[in-house]
Amino acid sequence: MSAIRIDDLTKRYGEVLANDGISFDVDSGEIFGYLGPNGAGKTTTIRLLLGLIKPTSGTATILGTDIRDRRALTERKADVGYLPDSIGVEERLTGRQVLDYFARMRGDERRDELLELFHPPLEKPVETYSHGNIRMLGIVQAFMHDPEIAILDEPTSGLDPLKQDRLHQFLERERDAGKTIFFSSHVLSEVQRVCDRVGIIREGELVALEDIDALLERSGKRVWVHLAEPVDEARFATDEMIDLEIVDSAVQFTYTGEYNALIDHLGEFDIANVEITDPQLDEIFKHYYGEGTPMERTDGEPARGG
Amino acid sequence: MTAILRLESRKLVRSSLVLTGLLGLLLAFVLAVFPGFADEAELIEEAFPPVLLGLLGIEEIHTIEGFVGGYVFSLIWLLFAGIYFAYASAGMIVEDVRTRRMDLTLSNPVSRESVLLQKVAALWVPLVALHVGLFAVLFVGIVVIGETLDPVTLAVAHLFIVPYLLVCAGIGIVLSVVLGRVESAQATALGLVFVCWLVDGLSEMNSEFEWVGAITPSRYVDPGAILVHEEYAFADAGILLIAFLVLLGVATALFVRRDI
Repeated sequence: MSAIRIDDLTKRYGEVLANDGISFDVDSGEIFGYLGPNGAGKTTTIRLLLGLIKPTSGTATILGTDIRDRRALTERKADVGYLPDSIGVEERLTGRQVLDYFARMRGDERRDELLELFHPPLEKPVETYSHGNIRMLGIVQAFMHDPEIAILDEPTSGLDPLKQDRLHQFLERERDAGKTIFFSSHVLSEVQRVCDRVGIIREGELVALEDIDALLERSGKRVWVHLAEPVDEARFATDEMIDLEIVDSAVQFTYTGEYNALIDHLGEFDIANVEITDPQLDEIFKHYYGEGTPMERTDGEPARGG
Repeated sequence: MTAILRLESRKLVRSSLVLTGLLGLLLAFVLAVFPGFADEAELIEEAFPPVLLGLLGIEEIHTIEGFVGGYVFSLIWLLFAGIYFAYASAGMIVEDVRTRRMDLTLSNPVSRESVLLQKVAALWVPLVALHVGLFAVLFVGIVVIGETLDPVTLAVAHLFIVPYLLVCAGIGIVLSVVLGRVESAQATALGLVFVCWLVDGLSEMNSEFEWVGAITPSRYVDPGAILVHEEYAFADAGILLIAFLVLLGVATALFVRRDI
């Protein structure tokens, strides 16, 4: 069964199509990555799913409940956990009081277990929290009622790498226990690490829906090589290299072919230093989904994904 | 499902106590000048411009009933308390939407109707604080300055203020749902209650324009009549209660339909 089914979902704000006829399914028991640059429409989809905004046309179901059926959706929310991109809570309350408040509305049978993994300073008022502490509080409230589906909007933003890993492991355990995770992000490497499938949204449109392995195969590798001596482009370039830049003895390109062939090719040169990484999301877009308006850097502070 | 009611009530405790303290202090000062004031009341009634007397709905100002009903109730309850209720409720929805608190609130299995009603219901805190506090100050104050006023009649006058304050809250909550900024919702609510109070007072002075005052909520509450003549206008109170329910209905209908 599909945990989430999105069917031609459209949201228009005046002239702007924040979501343009988006359709895809999220299966029960998978971690689905919803990937796109900032401002692509990820948050709009999430807010539509939660009934915070109404679709202009199309619809979606969560665990079989139509999002246009306001009453049914209200009841269904007992089975849904939500971590917003920017967490709004009563700032004068302490972390504990915030959790108590949500517990009264939907229960907290897993609170203690979660607080062992993520431990915001519960006795302090939320207004004194760092970005990471607020995020941890948000993660605890999103999962403490043991929801069937968790909808997470940029869940790791603000978390230190250790906590990010902890969250990723936690999400995998939840998935293995049969829970469904819908996970929005603008960071490819994160989605690649934990997600089973990925949907890519750009300027309100779903441009790709594929297994994570397929996506990575298509996205290639970013390669930086420092050679012992300056090299001639004609001699170095192959057909599998995109965006090749050569400055003196430093070479930089995206490689889309077989890795063995790449290693063999590099072996013909005297290499001083080499670095092979995953490409940035905007580079993937550029190569595989066509050029568009310049996108924000994906390594900056994430803004609202709206 | 009372989590929101509990939280909102808690949030109103401090401002309610501060307001009760301030208005209690004001009340005590006003009462302290009454004995000297009553001696020269006739002179004052002549000296006061009729505009001002009409604005405050003053009659029999030399008696404690007339003084409390006309001066004290008009200013403290109809104007100051009315403004507070409109102001407090005007922030309730729009502030949560602006700070994105509403996103998380509505991710719970709680309907929008319930959110709005629980927030408005939290106004029981200032309602009780003001009534208990100001009744006590007034009652003790009257005894201290050597006057007498029937506590039952005074309590009834207090009760008749409640529907008026609810209408003020209703105005605030509608603005809170409709307007997109906290400041504009609160300023509009505050201004509207003040203008209504002003229009009601001014329109009473000119029979040609008296009908204008019929749309102001303060027209339907007359503490002076209760204290001086023991006249209880149940129909007027009913009109205010209906107006409150209509405003609440409008606010709910708009809130459940809008995008957050």
